[in-house]
Amino acid sequence: MTDAILEVNDLRKSYGAPDQPIPVLRGLSFAIERGSFCAILGPSGSGKSTLMNIVGLLDRPTSGAVRLAGEMVDPGSADQAAHTRNRLIGFVFQSFNLLPRLTAWENVALPLLYAGVPRAMRKPSALEMLERVGLADRAEHRPGALSGGQQQRVALARALIRNPGLVLADEPTGSLDSVTAGEVMGVLRELNRSLGATVVMVTHDRDLASRCDRRIEMLDGRIVADVTTQ
Amino acid sequence: MSGGLFKGARLSLAEAAIEALDNLRAQGQRSALALLGIMIGAASIIAVLSIGHMAQLETLKTFRHLGVDVINIHAAPAGMASVGVLDRSTVERLPDLDPAVLAATSFIADHDKVSAGVMKATVAVGAVAPGLARLVRLGLSEGRFVSPVDDNGLVAVVGAKAAAKLSSPGAPIAPGAHITMKGYEFTVIGVLKPSPFTPLDAMEIDDAVMIPLTGAGRVFPSSQPTGALVRLRPNADVDAAGKRIAAMLDNPTSSLVVIKAREIIKGMNAQKAIHNQLLAAVGAISLLVGGIGVMNVMLMGVMERRREIGLRAAVGATPGDIGLMFLVEAAVLAFVGGLAGLIVGVLAALVSASISGWTFSIALWVLPLGPGVATLVGVTFGLYPAIKASRLSPIEALRAE
Repeated sequence: MTDAILEVNDLRKSYGAPDQPIPVLRGLSFAIERGSFCAILGPSGSGKSTLMNIVGLLDRPTSGAVRLAGEMVDPGSADQAAHTRNRLIGFVFQSFNLLPRLTAWENVALPLLYAGVPRAMRKPSALEMLERVGLADRAEHRPGALSGGQQQRVALARALIRNPGLVLADEPTGSLDSVTAGEVMGVLRELNRSLGATVVMVTHDRDLASRCDRRIEMLDGRIVADVTTQ
Repeated sequence: MSGGLFKGARLSLAEAAIEALDNLRAQGQRSALALLGIMIGAASIIAVLSIGHMAQLETLKTFRHLGVDVINIHAAPAGMASVGVLDRSTVERLPDLDPAVLAATSFIADHDKVSAGVMKATVAVGAVAPGLARLVRLGLSEGRFVSPVDDNGLVAVVGAKAAAKLSSPGAPIAPGAHITMKGYEFTVIGVLKPSPFTPLDAMEIDDAVMIPLTGAGRVFPSSQPTGALVRLRPNADVDAAGKRIAAMLDNPTSSLVVIKAREIIKGMNAQKAIHNQLLAAVGAISLLVGGIGVMNVMLMGVMERRREIGLRAAVGATPGDIGLMFLVEAAVLAFVGGLAGLIVGVLAALVSASISGWTFSIALWVLPLGPGVATLVGVTFGLYPAIKASRLSPIEALRAE
């Protein structure tokens, strides 16, 4: 595959003492096409979260390689990892992880702060993203004044404000009721189409997974199924 | 801003400071408590330095008209003698006898009742030589000082305070007025400008009536001087000169006491130094306690804000950015405490000045020291929490509750 946003090659991760390693990832290899919408399924302990952490450069593999947008990721430098996260990756969390003291637009603009974007230019960009997720009128609200679905839409706007190649969403609808979950999924799907952002989503929900282009199923640190629907 | 301790930080210091202010406002009350120690510490520094500054000005003011190169030689009675005396001609020849001496003059000083018309008062009475006026830099408001032409004439020069005491409506003490002492009538030839009293002065000149030394026998037991004031050259060795002069003036009737300006200043300063050391110790301890308070607030902040740290790391904050954020917060916290301390310190100096009767004065260079030292303390004690925050693993931080 030439146009892969993410390539993983024989990825292994063990925890515990070196002489008695507990393997969590047992040699994963796959590539994800730019612009696709992919679900990773699997029971607890199958290694989904560990995979997401490594791909998101928050954790390091024991062995194996990760390529993001064709670039080899240097696992050695924390600064380099932070810059790459800022530039190429957007995170969406189950628990939203909005900073309660900041307004909606300030939360959305947070990645721009660390990208070195001047203060005056951050607000217009953030407002534009909020409009895309349908929350233009909530820009000055703090997270406490927003519903769960609204909070997660703010988090989506934050994940996408740098126009990253890859959005990593860990159970993005896990804290929402099914109606709201459907709405958030719709927004995510729309952003995937309009912005061309690749979405990799970890989920338990087979129904949700069925709405994705591709489903990777994991069990005990291995890929057991990889289905692409057209 | 990159480089320095938190390498890789992409946040500018200004951005970090704005973030820090937001975060501190959110912490509110707890921050305020940590500030108390910093505030007291900074206030002590400002107060110590300001009080020291004012004390120095006061000392300088005291010695301004006299200078610091003057010594006073007092002849106390020795052996069977009832009064100690000095040899007037030796005193007057001192500038020729000793290269360190610039000028010397002798005097007799006492207190007595004097009257002018209906007014009566007890004032300092001095018998002085013409040289005194120049030696202690006396200023005249009217008339002239005692001069060689007066010899033993019945003339008097009156200090400003004594003149006020002896003046009556319609009969002010002015050149031409008459003053009666020990049955003699003296004609006033000059009135002095007000002058401060220093411990070195022969007498409280402001409150004195002074007559020519040559005619002192009318008022005093003898016309032999009992004291001398000597002005030394600016860089003279005061101790050595004092000893040489005492040896030249030594006589069997007297035991000579040599009082030096520098010694008096040293004594005054030593007293203030103890006072200042005490305040400085209070300041140092307060800053230490305040610093520990800052460290405590910051450590609690780091613990409570682990998720925030994880989130910031996830969206691209480097360890340097996160460390810098907490360090700047600590510095801003302490700086705010330092500013409060500056205000309290200046108020303390003001109160201290009004209690001591000093002129209130603040040296401008003192002002930045309060917030400056406070910020330094904040940075020092904020370093450990900041490093701790920067070393948090993003995954564990995100998982924290």
